[in-house]
Formats: sequence, structure tokens, C-alpha cells
Amino acid sequence: MSITGLGPHGERAAAPSRVALTEDDIKSARGARFSVAIVFHTTDSDWSRQSLAGIAATLGHCGAVVTEVVDCGFDAGRQIEALTRLKDEDVDAIVSIPVANAAVVESHRQVARAGRRLILHDNVPTGLLPGSDYTSLVSADNFGLGLIGAELLSPHVQADADVGLLTYGVDFYATNERDIAFARWMRANRPDLVVRTQRFAALDRVGEALEELIDDRARLAGLFVVWDTPAMDAVATLERRGLDLPVTTVDLGLGGAMNLAAGKSIVGIAAQQPYMQGVAVAQTAILSLLNRPVPGWVALPGLAVTRSNVAENYQQVWSSAAPAALLAAQRE
Amino acid sequence: MADLAVREKRAAKRGKGRPRNSEAAAPSLAAILNLVRTGRATTRQEIERASELGRAAVADRLATLGELGLVDESELGEASGGRAPRLVRFNEAAGHILVATLDQTALGVALSDLSGRLLIEHHEALDLTAPAEATIGRLETLFDWLLERIEPTRPVWGTGISMPGPVQSPPASGYLTDSPPLLPAWDGTPFVERLIARFAAPVWLRSSVETMAMGEAKAGEGVNAPHMLLVKVGKRIGAGLVVGGRLYRGALGASGLIGQLPVQANGRTGPLEVLAGSDAIAREGLVAAEAGRSPMLANVQKRTGAITAIDVGQAAQTGDPGAMEIMSHSGRLIGHTVATLANMLNPSLIVLSGSIAQTNDILLAAVRETVYGESHPLVTRDLGICASRLGSSAGLVGAAAVVVDALFEPGHLRSWILNGTPIAAPDFIELMRQARTICASGKSQSRDALAPPATEGTSPAAQAGPD
Repeated sequence: MSITGLGPHGERAAAPSRVALTEDDIKSARGARFSVAIVFHTTDSDWSRQSLAGIAATLGHCGAVVTEVVDCGFDAGRQIEALTRLKDEDVDAIVSIPVANAAVVESHRQVARAGRRLILHDNVPTGLLPGSDYTSLVSADNFGLGLIGAELLSPHVQADADVGLLTYGVDFYATNERDIAFARWMRANRPDLVVRTQRFAALDRVGEALEELIDDRARLAGLFVVWDTPAMDAVATLERRGLDLPVTTVDLGLGGAMNLAAGKSIVGIAAQQPYMQGVAVAQTAILSLLNRPVPGWVALPGLAVTRSNVAENYQQVWSSAAPAALLAAQRE
Repeated sequence: MADLAVREKRAAKRGKGRPRNSEAAAPSLAAILNLVRTGRATTRQEIERASELGRAAVADRLATLGELGLVDESELGEASGGRAPRLVRFNEAAGHILVATLDQTALGVALSDLSGRLLIEHHEALDLTAPAEATIGRLETLFDWLLERIEPTRPVWGTGISMPGPVQSPPASGYLTDSPPLLPAWDGTPFVERLIARFAAPVWLRSSVETMAMGEAKAGEGVNAPHMLLVKVGKRIGAGLVVGGRLYRGALGASGLIGQLPVQANGRTGPLEVLAGSDAIAREGLVAAEAGRSPMLANVQKRTGAITAIDVGQAAQTGDPGAMEIMSHSGRLIGHTVATLANMLNPSLIVLSGSIAQTNDILLAAVRETVYGESHPLVTRDLGICASRLGSSAGLVGAAAVVVDALFEPGHLRSWILNGTPIAAPDFIELMRQARTICASGKSQSRDALAPPATEGTSPAAQAGPD
């Protein structure tokens, strides 16, 4: 599948093959014994765990040590504190997922100014430039994920209804792209549907946001949630309200995969490839530390996951066999 | 005579230190606002020195600007011996600017504050050959999304659009009132009027090379380059020139159309953009793939059935010999034309822009080699040649800069400053009324620009908002 979105500065995506490491690169990296710190928005999600695994495994193969993994808990203050501290420590590169936009711009800019390589993962605060403020962005094709989410939801939604778009209230490049793409696909392909957008300010307010949307829109006939963790909260809210609505989301977490396999509320998932994205992040960091040119944006395509192909996509995304319970649920 | 002098003295004394919401205050209000806005003065003492106004007059004008919500004096500066001075800051959040870049294959949108700093931006693929309604509708949808996403508490003060081709300058200064000739498929489409009517703000249009040049000068490679030449390489090849922070547009806004200049290649003579632009690169890539000179492009063709200029650039970057030769050849042709410009204009910096130029070191190296080889030694002594890092954001930053420069141009600023915002000034309210009438009737009007805005009889108390 090709990349449908453009980068944060309108860049065309470079394929992960563009940052593939040669044997010589790996040999040089092992000799240099680089150190890398990781600052994530959260480490408490299936996506994060997979991505971290890809980064750590690839860096380890190149003889680079992960000195620290910071869990910011979606808190901008905690991220600013971590970056401010790490930029003065003895690390060669920092991998960061910015948790916000304007609030964390300056702390990220300071990392590059302190001489550290900064590899951004999934998000670029507005105003930061590749080459000077950061080395490269590695992400999924988030625009493509939004398109997949819409396309998978459409067949399950009756004509002339409302569809809910439950999206993140924080200004975040990745979720903005999914949000825009979902609405664009619906407008182009299902003009009979009205997209009703509702934003949640934090993960613990997903249920509240959805309740508002439900109470406000009696014709709601489907829902797209911009990633899987809030999607599972949304599914719980729907069940509590006794509503049987089709839901699509992004990221093949275990909870979402099980729900999809069992033929429950979730009818489709636009899956990222977090492990492979982590590999690309690490490869980009190594190439940059070896002073090789790297593209401003490396993107990986999304996967369209349905009940019929959830097992094989699970294997691809998780690099392991699908759980027996998932296979059993799919067969029922 | 003595009585008259005394009366004048008394009158001057009465007026001292009191707010004066008359048009007489507008020039000094505008001058002070621009001193503060551009950072040339940050305290009352600095404003007094730079404006040559007395302490009471400065206090009076700052009080008025504060009431209008244009400056803020709540922050304290650093003390140098005595009491810490109050800092005078321009309220960059008093309004917002909507900007967009339209090119052959992509649409970019952003919202900026009044300093021109982008607050949020988005880019997506677009086919500009689609019907005008599809493109304009998409642009409006994305502008709506930006406004809904950021939920600005202050209104939009201006809209800046970067167009793929040259934009004819309006015949007189003032607001653009209707849509100049832009694209053949858009003839008769009231593009400008629609934007004015829908977003309740004046519109400025510039060509993509003009906005990219402004963007690089304001926030990119050209920040410290007083004489900067930007060369955009894509399907079309164009140039933009910024001198002393100001865009050079030429007599009709058509400067920089260097893609039309004839060059010679392989025994053929043709326009630069036909022989060295992205279409030529893609075409040569296909030939190289089919002739077996480029294994990587042959592989791309086999998998996708086509070859784009981006494919050729990426293959060259990874060392494919056939692709490298194509990029190098294109770079030499572009470099030859750019060398002529460099010898003529003696810029301090040349920035190569466009997705191929930005991502390809071989093209950049070939341009550098040719320009340095074909220019006078004095021209190249301190000349820098680099690739843009802003990418398509340059056009957005530049479009915002065009709007900011126009809104705060001293003559224009004086016309609205007593209203506190340009969109509350009577001339703009009339312009919007006309635009809404045209949109309602579905017709375009004559191509006259409004005369410079009138300044009579405008006081903050008398202003009405634009609906």
C-alpha cells in the first residue's frame, strides 16, 4: 500500500528501505558504541511496547545502548523536564514523541542546539524544522490510517445518518491527520452521512466526550476513534448505554483485535506497524550518528484489518502468533 | 499675537496626556505600534527615543493602543540600576491569519498569529486540474477545520494564498476586491470574493515562488541573508527575489519566470523547465530504466508501472548511476540559468526549493558547481547555495508574512488603527458587503481595486463589527 499523506512540512514520504543499514554501517556503529535516550508520550500501550521493542532490538544489534526510557504520561511538563535534563547528559541521540504542540516546541529545539541528534516519532510540533531542529520524523502514514478507518466503517453505516468522529483534543500531528482524512473520505464517498466531531481532552475523559456526542445526536450510526486505547473506552461506554454501533479505530492492540475477531462493536482497524516503525527510528538514528544523510520524513503504510484477516495481520504487527483465544473468537 | 500664543499654549496644555481618538493621532499610533511590533522598541523610553515623541504623547498613545487590545504592558523588563521598566509587547494574538499554498499536486493550509508564526499546519495531495469548485471547496473545508481545531478567541484579520503561477498586481494599492486571472479552469470563479465573504477578512494572493522566497527570508535559510534568491524546481521552474526583507515583484507581479528561458541540451533548444523540470526528470528516468542504465528505476517501473521525478531523485540519492546522471544533468542546466541571475543580481544566498531539490544532494551539487564555475569571482566570494529546509511550509510562512506586511504597512495601518482591527474599518465592511452580494448573485465584478481606505470619521466607539 502506498503512502497517501504528506509530511508535516508537505514532504513526500521516504520508504523505510531508504534508511536500511548496510553491514558496513552496522560495523561502524558497533565501533562507535552510541548511547540513545527515549522519551515517549506513554509506555503503557501495546503500540508503545511494540515500538520500543523495535527501537531497542535494532539499536542493540548496532551496539548502541538505550540509557533511559522516559514515560511522560501524556504530560507536557514531564516531557519538558526530561528533555531539559537529557540534553545535558552524555547521550548521542534522543528519540522523542512530542506529547503536545506549542508547549513542547522549545524544549525539543534545545536538544538539537545542545548537539544531540533528535529523532522524532509520530509527531512534529509546528515550527520545528528538519535538519536544524530535528534530524528526521518517522511515523505511520497517518492520513492513510484515517482513510482506512473511514473505508472500513462505511459499509456498516446505513444511509442518511450521522457518524461520530471521536478525536483527540490536544493538537497532535498524527491524530490531526487521521481526523482530517476520515472526514475527507466520508465527504467524498458518503455525502449522505454527516460527520459529527467530538474531542476528548485527556484519556480519562473519553467516556464523558462520547456520552455528550450520543446525547446530542440521536441519529448516530457509526463511530471512528483516532486510536485504540480511547476506542476501547468508547466501546465500554457504548455497551453501558446499550448501544450497538459499529466502531473503527487505529492500532491493532490486543483488546481491539479480540473485539474485532469476536465480531463485536469493532468492525475494522487501521493498523500501524509499530515494531517496524521502531526499527526505522533506530536505523535513522544510527545513520544520522554516522553522519549519513537521512530523509526528513520516513513513513510506513497502514494495514486494513477486518475480522477475516485479523489473525495474519496480528502476526505481522506483533511479530508473533495470534493468541489462541483470538483464533477461537474469529472461528465462532 | 500674544493672546493667540497664550491660547495655543493653553490648548496644548489641556490636550497633554489625554487620549485623543481622532484621526490626528493615527500616524503616531501607527508608528508606535510598528516600533513595538517589529521589536525596535520594547520600553516607553525606547519608544520615546525612536519615535521622537514626548513622554506624555507616548503614554497617551500606549494607553489608546492598550484600550484597542493591540499592546500589552503587564510584563516587567530587567532593571538596570533603578526600577524595572515595563515591557511593551505587541499583542500577536489580537487576530489570526489564514494561509494556504496551492500547487499542481498539493494543498497546504495553516493558521498564524499576527507575527506570522504558524500555529498549526496541514498538507495533503491535490489535483489542481480538478474543477475549481472541488479545489476551492476543499480549501474552505480545511480553513474551517483549522478554525474549529484551534478555536481562536480573536477573529481572522487576513487571508494569504500562494498560487501556482504569477499573480498580477492590483492596479492600485488597497484591498483585492475580485479574482485576477489565476488558472484557466477558474475563469469567472469569484475565488477572492468567496474567501472574503466566508471568512470575513481581506485576501492577498501571491505566486508560489514569491511566498516561498518570503518564507525563507522570514523563517528559513534566508533569515540573515539581505539579498536572497530562491529557485523553485518542480514541473515549473521559477525564482523569487527578496531584497532587504522586501519581495521584489516587478512591474506586474511577473518577475522570476525563469522557466521560460531557453537552454540547450543534447543538441536541443527549449525552455529550462521543459528540459530540466520534474517532467523531464521523470521522462529521462523512464528512458534510463528501459535502456538498462538504471537497475533501481527498472525495478520501480516493474513494481508500479510508472516512474516519477521523486523516484529518480530517491534512486539517485541511493547511488543508482543512471538516476544520478539525470539529476546531475538537470542540475547543470538549472545552474547555468541561475549563474546568469547571480552575475546580474549578486545575491548573498541562493536557496533551492521544491520537493526534488530539497531531497537531492546531487542536483544541489550540480547547481553549485555550475554557478561557481560560471560566475564572477566577486559574485561567488561569499555566496551561499543551499537547499530549503522549510519545504512547503515556506509558502505558508511567506503567505502569512505577505499579509502581516500588508496589514501593518504604515499607510494602511493608519487607515484602520483607530478601529482596533482592519476588519472593523468601514472600507473593509463595504468590501465584504460587495463580496457577499457577488457571491449571492454568483457573478464576478470589475477588476478594480478599492482606493486606499479612507480615514475620516472613524473612532473606536463608532465602530461596528463586520456582521
